[in-house]
Amino acid sequence: MLTYIVRRLLLLPLILFGLSLIVFGMIQSLGPDRLLAAYVNPGVLDKLTPAQLEKIKQKYGLGDPMMIRYLKWLKNTLQGDLGWSLVGKQPVRDAILSRLPWTAELALYSIIPVVFVGVWLGVIAAVNRDKFLDHFVRIFAVVGWSFPDFVFGLIVLMVFYSILGWFPPGNLSLWADQVIKSPEFRRFTSLVTIDALLNGRFDVFVDALRHLVAPILTLSWLWWAYLLRITRSSMLEVLTKEYIRTARAKGLSERVVINKHARRNAMIPVVTVGGGMVIQLFAGTVIVEMVFNRTGMGSFTATAATQLDYASIMASTLFYSLILVLGNLVIDILYAVVDPRVRLG
Amino acid sequence: MEKKPVLSVKNLKTYFYTEDGIVKAVDGVDFDVYQGETLGIVGESGCGKSVTALSILRILDEKGRIVEGQVLLDGVDLTKIEEQDMRKIRGKDIAIIFQEPMVALNPVFTIGDQIMEAIMLHQKVDEKTARNMAVDLLRKVGIPEPEKRIDQYPHELSGGMRQRAMIAMALSCKPKVLIADEPTTALDVTIQAQIMELMKELQKEYGMAIMLITHDLGLIAENADRVVVMYAGKVVEYADVKTLFNDPKHPYTWGLLHAIPRLDIEQTRLYNIPGVVPDPLHFPPGCKFNPRCEFKEERCTREEPQLIEVGENHTVRCFFWQKVDEAKKRKVGEFV
Repeated sequence: MLTYIVRRLLLLPLILFGLSLIVFGMIQSLGPDRLLAAYVNPGVLDKLTPAQLEKIKQKYGLGDPMMIRYLKWLKNTLQGDLGWSLVGKQPVRDAILSRLPWTAELALYSIIPVVFVGVWLGVIAAVNRDKFLDHFVRIFAVVGWSFPDFVFGLIVLMVFYSILGWFPPGNLSLWADQVIKSPEFRRFTSLVTIDALLNGRFDVFVDALRHLVAPILTLSWLWWAYLLRITRSSMLEVLTKEYIRTARAKGLSERVVINKHARRNAMIPVVTVGGGMVIQLFAGTVIVEMVFNRTGMGSFTATAATQLDYASIMASTLFYSLILVLGNLVIDILYAVVDPRVRLG
Repeated sequence: MEKKPVLSVKNLKTYFYTEDGIVKAVDGVDFDVYQGETLGIVGESGCGKSVTALSILRILDEKGRIVEGQVLLDGVDLTKIEEQDMRKIRGKDIAIIFQEPMVALNPVFTIGDQIMEAIMLHQKVDEKTARNMAVDLLRKVGIPEPEKRIDQYPHELSGGMRQRAMIAMALSCKPKVLIADEPTTALDVTIQAQIMELMKELQKEYGMAIMLITHDLGLIAENADRVVVMYAGKVVEYADVKTLFNDPKHPYTWGLLHAIPRLDIEQTRLYNIPGVVPDPLHFPPGCKFNPRCEFKEERCTREEPQLIEVGENHTVRCFFWQKVDEAKKRKVGEFV
């Protein structure tokens, strides 16, 4: 198992290298003139003479061959310099570090309702196959699964903020934001909810939570519907297996048969898709953060992409692929944990 | 000497209510199982032998229902008792071994876990005792290095070893009746013999009754004391093993025995029973075997025969069983 993990980790730089090459190529294929838009206000762009344009291209190295520009980028990146973020108006590294915790908080907390509600309802639906409860839960899931998250997010925003006023958008209320930026507030983990508790600021914790509920609901809605369907079908399949009959023939109660013998087996495919889902949750933050006006990796990437801030785009792409690769590694390990037949190697 | 049966099945009817109609998988089955004896149940696939076993334990899937009949274990009707009382019987008084040891054991738990689970469910012992009991059982069923094997997962064992582990699990609470549903079908021949030998030994030791369900007449001949032949959900012949093999009375039994290749006579072509098992949704009227029967008469397509006594402890469901006797005499060179 350990050699497997090490081998996978050794592959990581190679994957990141290939990926950065592709993304870099895609950005550069826009051509130097389009890339100028990142440096010059489009309104001004029209009024510049060709000589002036050429000068700007020279200044930012936009005219150089792509390979040279890529190697330059690679050299800086390897030295820890990810470039200047036009969107963040700060070094890309700082921009990412300050935004990452907000996204991590959102994505990680979303896993909890997704996994628990999804798996729990999936098992219930399977056990009550074709009965009222099953139909109800399945209709719920189909509706949930077919709802685009940006539409659902807007509805959530409308209901819980405009009408009820319970869950405001943004990361934190102004006062809470000032509290966490004050020197007395010590940052242990950089996750605000946990730090607030560690600092004994229960009010800040509640405020952070109020800002998290609506985006978590939006983000998790789609995915627990998905997980429910996977769990249900996997559970149904497992329930027809002969070892379930063996378990019943032993005299075990139906509860033990379902919760021990069936569910453990049903979890095997769920771990695979569920793991992929957690990775998707990170990607899903792009839309959710835009809708709920949160500053985080998602909204940062989206803004960077629309403004051709390629240093930021490169860095966020690498960040997301890092999540993807590490996430998949975790899935593989989990897979071996739930299914003793799987040997990593 | 009149013995009392441990398990007695009387007029058992199990129907499956499917979307296409009612499938009468078991439609009036009677037999007795005696202590220390082996009852063979033989028939083609789909004749209702496995459903009979599942009905006795009441572990049918949701579409199946016992609609009539009794299953008496020491005089208690298992079809009438509460589910929670039934649970105390499953695995304890009546245990079952399934056909495919590959799929009958849960792949994500060690065999030790699965055996200990059965022990701790029915006997008041702590985990350590249960573990020791499981090791003893594994040793008893002939698994080498049981202390090591107990912590292995089913996929780490061979097919024969898995079936041994299944047997260990089934025997963990010393059941009165052991149902063996095609216990050797999935195993290769040498392993088959070992498993049957093991079951015989354990039967002697524990004195349990075995219900051996199979389509393999060879297995029946070697292991059963009494035989029930089933066809299309009904018992068509019931006799002790010698009588059945030497003097079959039902055309179906006769056909089955006739279809076994023989070494003592020259055969150019193996006999086979014409036709196929009827679709359980559309059984023929009258005797269910009539479309395939060599001795069919007009009456067979109209009326359903009842079981009639043709000898001591020998019953047969056929109007014209004497015809089989005549056929036996006629084809004496081919069939004895």
